[in-house]
Formats: sequence, C-alpha cells, structure tokens
Amino acid sequence: MAKARVVVIRSGSVWSPAGGPDPAVAARMFARGFSLVTGEEDGPAAAAALFRPDDRIGIKINTIGGRAISTRPETALALAAWISRNGLLAKNLFVWDRTTRELRDAGYALSAGRSEVRVFGTDAAGVGYGADLVSHLGVGSLFSKIQTEFATASISLAILKDHGLAGVTAGLKNYFGAIHNPNKYHEGRCDPFIAEVFDAPPVKSRHRLTILDALVVQYHRGPSYHARWAEKFAGFVFSLDPVAADAVGWTIIERLRAAAGLPTLSEEGRAPSYLATAEKMGLGRADPAEIETVEETVA
Amino acid sequence: MNRRGFLRGAAGAGLALGAGLPALGARLRGFGAGPNLSRVEARYYVKLPDREIECRLCPRLCRLGDKERGYCGVRENIGGTYYTLVYGKVCALNVDPIEKKPFFHVLPGTTALSLATAGCNVNCKFCQNWEISQARPEQVEAFDLAPEEAAARAAASGCPSIAYTYTEPTVYFEYMVDTAVRAKKRGIRNIVVTGGHISPEPLAELLGVVDAVKVDLKGFTEEFYAAYVRGALKPVLETIRAVARSKVWLEIVVLVIPTLNDRMDLIRDMVRWIRDEAGEGVPVHFTRFQPMYLVKNLPPTPVSTLEAARRIALEEGLRYVYVGNVPGHESENTYCPGCGKVAIARAGYAIEALRLKKGKCESCGTPIPGIWA
Repeated sequence: MAKARVVVIRSGSVWSPAGGPDPAVAARMFARGFSLVTGEEDGPAAAAALFRPDDRIGIKINTIGGRAISTRPETALALAAWISRNGLLAKNLFVWDRTTRELRDAGYALSAGRSEVRVFGTDAAGVGYGADLVSHLGVGSLFSKIQTEFATASISLAILKDHGLAGVTAGLKNYFGAIHNPNKYHEGRCDPFIAEVFDAPPVKSRHRLTILDALVVQYHRGPSYHARWAEKFAGFVFSLDPVAADAVGWTIIERLRAAAGLPTLSEEGRAPSYLATAEKMGLGRADPAEIETVEETVA
Repeated sequence: MNRRGFLRGAAGAGLALGAGLPALGARLRGFGAGPNLSRVEARYYVKLPDREIECRLCPRLCRLGDKERGYCGVRENIGGTYYTLVYGKVCALNVDPIEKKPFFHVLPGTTALSLATAGCNVNCKFCQNWEISQARPEQVEAFDLAPEEAAARAAASGCPSIAYTYTEPTVYFEYMVDTAVRAKKRGIRNIVVTGGHISPEPLAELLGVVDAVKVDLKGFTEEFYAAYVRGALKPVLETIRAVARSKVWLEIVVLVIPTLNDRMDLIRDMVRWIRDEAGEGVPVHFTRFQPMYLVKNLPPTPVSTLEAARRIALEEGLRYVYVGNVPGHESENTYCPGCGKVAIARAGYAIEALRLKKGKCESCGTPIPGIWA
C-alpha cells in the first residue's frame, strides 16, 4: 500500500513587513500544496480532484486562541479565494468556527453578502446545532448545522499547537469546534474522543482535506498563546490523510521543542495517543514509516 | 417572550408538567441573540504561572490555560482569572411539588421554586435533562434572575423553599450560595439536588447555608461511574458522608437501570454502606429508569426490580425506603417504623394524607426524621 503523503510548504516571505501573513504568498503556498497532494499541476484540476463544482465547502478554522494564535483572516480568506479562482463559487465557500465572538476576537469581519465568501459562527442567526443527537461510539453530541446541513465538503484549516491535555491539537481536534459539548471530551488526553468525533458521519463523510496552519506554531504550554514558546514556522501542512497530517504536525512540534531544549511530549507523559487510536480506527496513518513527507519552499 | 413573561410562564408550568422536563430551557437555544453570560469571579480556584488556573470546585481539578473552559463548560479562564459564566443566568425555572425532586421528608405537600443554569460536571449517559445540563451557556435560552429576585420570586409564588436542581448545582455554586443566603433571610429554605461531585471545602460552605441535600448515588462501582457517569464514585460517597455528619437533611436517590447497575449484591453493598455511613434513618429512593439521551436501548426498569432493591434495603435496616417514578405504588408512602402504619400517603406528587404531629407518628408517637415545618 502506498504511503500517506503529507506536504509541508514553507515560505520565508509569507510574513509581511506589516506583521501579518501576506495573502499573495499564502495563495502561492496553497497552490503548491494542492498540487502536490492531488498530483495535479494546474489549480482547477487540483480543486476538481477534491471537490465537485457545486460543492458547498466549509472551511473550519480555529479561533479559540484570539488574535495571537488563531487561523488568521488573511490565511483563511486567501485559501477561499484560491479555491474560488479554481472552479468553485465564492458564495458556496464559508469560513466558520463556533462563535461570532471568537471570530471577531481573531480579527474576522463577519460577512453577509450572498455573492462573496461568507464568514460566520455556529451561533449566527439561522444557524445553530442540528436537532438530532449524534450518538457515535463514545461520543454523544449535537453537530453544527454548518457541518451537517450547509456544507457538502469540509476542509480542516487548523492551527498547529501544543495542547496540555491532548499533546497536540491540529486538524483532527479542530472538529471539536463542530460539536456543542467539546468540554466533555478532554478526559484521558482526549483519547479516543478526538478520533471518534472525526469518525462520526457528519465529519467523516464530508472531510476532504487537512491543512495545518503552521505560520506560527505554539510548541509548548498550549493551547493558549505564550510568545516565549511560539515560533514563526512560516508553513502549511497539507494532506488528504487527516491522521498523517497531524502526525507530521507532531514531528514539527517536537522539532521546535528540541531546538528550545524542551523534553519531548512523550517524556512529559502527553504524547498524542489519539493518533494511534485514529489509525486503529482506519482513519489514516500515524506511523511515520507509513508517511511520505514532502517539504518544499515557495518564494 | 420578554423577561416578565418568561418568569410568569415558567412559574406556572411546573405543576402542569408533572414528571416532564423543566418548562423552559429544556431545549437548545435557537441562537440569534447575543450570549447572555456573566463574568463573576469564581470562588474556588488557584492561579498558576503563565495565566493558568486550577479549578478547586469539584474533584476534577480542571487545569486550564487562558481562554479555556472546564469540563462543566460554564467556567472560563480569562487572562488568568477564573469566572463563572452562569451567575444569575437561569435557564429553567418552575414551581414544582417538592416530592418531584424527590424530597419525601421535607415540607411534604409544598412547592419549591426550582431553578437551574446550564452545565454539569459529569456526563451521565442516561441524563434526563441533557439539553441543558450538557450544554454550554451560550446554547440555552437564559434570563437574568439575581439572587434577591429569586428569593422574592419564591416568596411571591408561595414556595417555602428554593430547589437548586435539573442540572448540577455545583457548577453554579456562587449563585446558589448567594441565593440561599438571601432566601434564608426571608425564611425560605434551600434544597439541593446534586450528583455529589463537589470538593470538601465548597461543600462545607454550602452546608452552612442550605437545609437539605438530595444526592444521586448512581451506582456502587467505580467502573459504572467511569463508563456511564464520566465521574467517580469515591467523591460522591465522601459528599454523602459529609452531609450525613452535618445538620443538613439528607436523602438519597438510586436510579436503577436494567443490566447496568441492578445487581442485587451490589445494591446490598450499597445500602449497607448507606446504613453504616449515613444512618438507617436516611430516606433512600429506588427510582425507575426510562430510556433517554444515550441509553435508549434498554427498557424501563421492571417494577419488580425496584421492589427487590427496596426489600433488600429494609432487610439491611434502612427505615425509609421508597420506590420512585412508579405513580400509585404503595412504596411511595412513608410507613412508620414503630407501628407500620402509613404516616404520609402519596399518590404521585400529591399528598393524600399526612398523619404526623410535630414530626411524630399520629398513631404511635414514633419520631419520624425530616423537616416538617
């Protein structure tokens, strides 16, 4: 069986002199990432490899960390713009998270126009959670209607962070923001709950792509922001394999921790065990030997 | 609906609802309005380096970074200070018969102003109020009801008690304590319906201001608590022991679920423990399970199972043992341990006869413990 492919795209120019990500550079990074994960050279073909033209794509971001350590608006909107330039309608793209408050705190302007990419939270008027409780393995949750009704396909555009309980929070755990009761699933280092939420039909049936936003990586004392342990890694991690993406994210965190002279997550007793669980459940590859990592730099 | 309408409607609805869910708030909010959250500093937590905190309210001892919430979902670390988000944010408010809680030895035949905020510090797979207990406060409709207003509301509604119930009162500890203090000044009693997951220090504070506590003892093994409650048995037993040793009235409810916690040898162990640690006079209610939330694949508890549990409890020396959620069952009645006659006759939540005089059996004069006036 072929190895799971994970693509790491970095750019020394993605951080603009003004301090934020440069959307144009981010767009080039997305173009290269899509190309390498799909094997399609041109943008429309790469997009078509993942989405139908009429798909409504939910881009699930992570804004719990506020402006300092959230998926940046420049990043999420650059991704949406790239997708819309390559065959999908802008009005069928939405950038979303749990609440309006968190989106605003992370710097997002909420949109209302029908012809543009929309940005909104599950608590927006007319949205909310589905009425039916989803009982799946050890999880019993209501899922955001954005995930269950609005979207036909989803991208997990997650921040890559150290997590005090889970070890690592990345693409899989990002979907905790799609359920109404994530606080109930942090026991036991979030294992097996991270895998089980992803495995639930509303997520698994729609998820198409993981992109880890590693422009800034919180490699210690996460998930809260601590400047002392945050590194401008200036990269994105792409994979069609959601488990492999997070496994590579873990290696990035370990790399940064080692450089800072910190013990490994295993040594701290909080290795992300949910990755092995996810692999056992057939959600992807966690074993580094089964993962092909491709790293490139974009100007 | 405006606030006044909410309060008026809620206050009247409990009696009509019978055994059902709370009249309001028993559904997730439709959204659209801004979240109605409080920002009142929590009383039991410690600050840690790097804006982290450790919650000391319940045995979970959640350790949280900035912007994170505890397991309960209603307390948040904001910049290194820990806040309750539900102080005075009531999502369920009813006037209920006190027998519905159930309290059988507290002011029988009266009503209790019963209230709740969102949140719970466990996650019982059989929760009957999961739509509010397992929700975050933004997800339920809530109205402001300050402690003094709650006390005034109870008085105006003719309720001699306020019940902190439906969800887990521990998670709205500060609001409960402040309300209890104000209610007490008005001569209104305070009764608590809890799962018992609370740390000793806040429990001691609570016991200083309330009159009665009903603890749900959901099983008698750690395995059951881990699998079906997402909690632990040991702290619940410690809570029961602490209440029993205080001056606060204690009752215990055991929800008996077919195949999950209905082994009679464990029931016997449980009632022996209750007898030895809490006393033979503590009322124990064996109540009937109905399929709901995440346990829908099991049938309602056979009445014969409840009767068997009751029989064992009586054999082991407990004096006041009831069968619950079986309206009309003869074991809803309170029987005098002295003469065996019915001291309090019940039919569902209604009191049909009250044969007590100053807390003693009218027939034989045997004292029957409780809060009777």
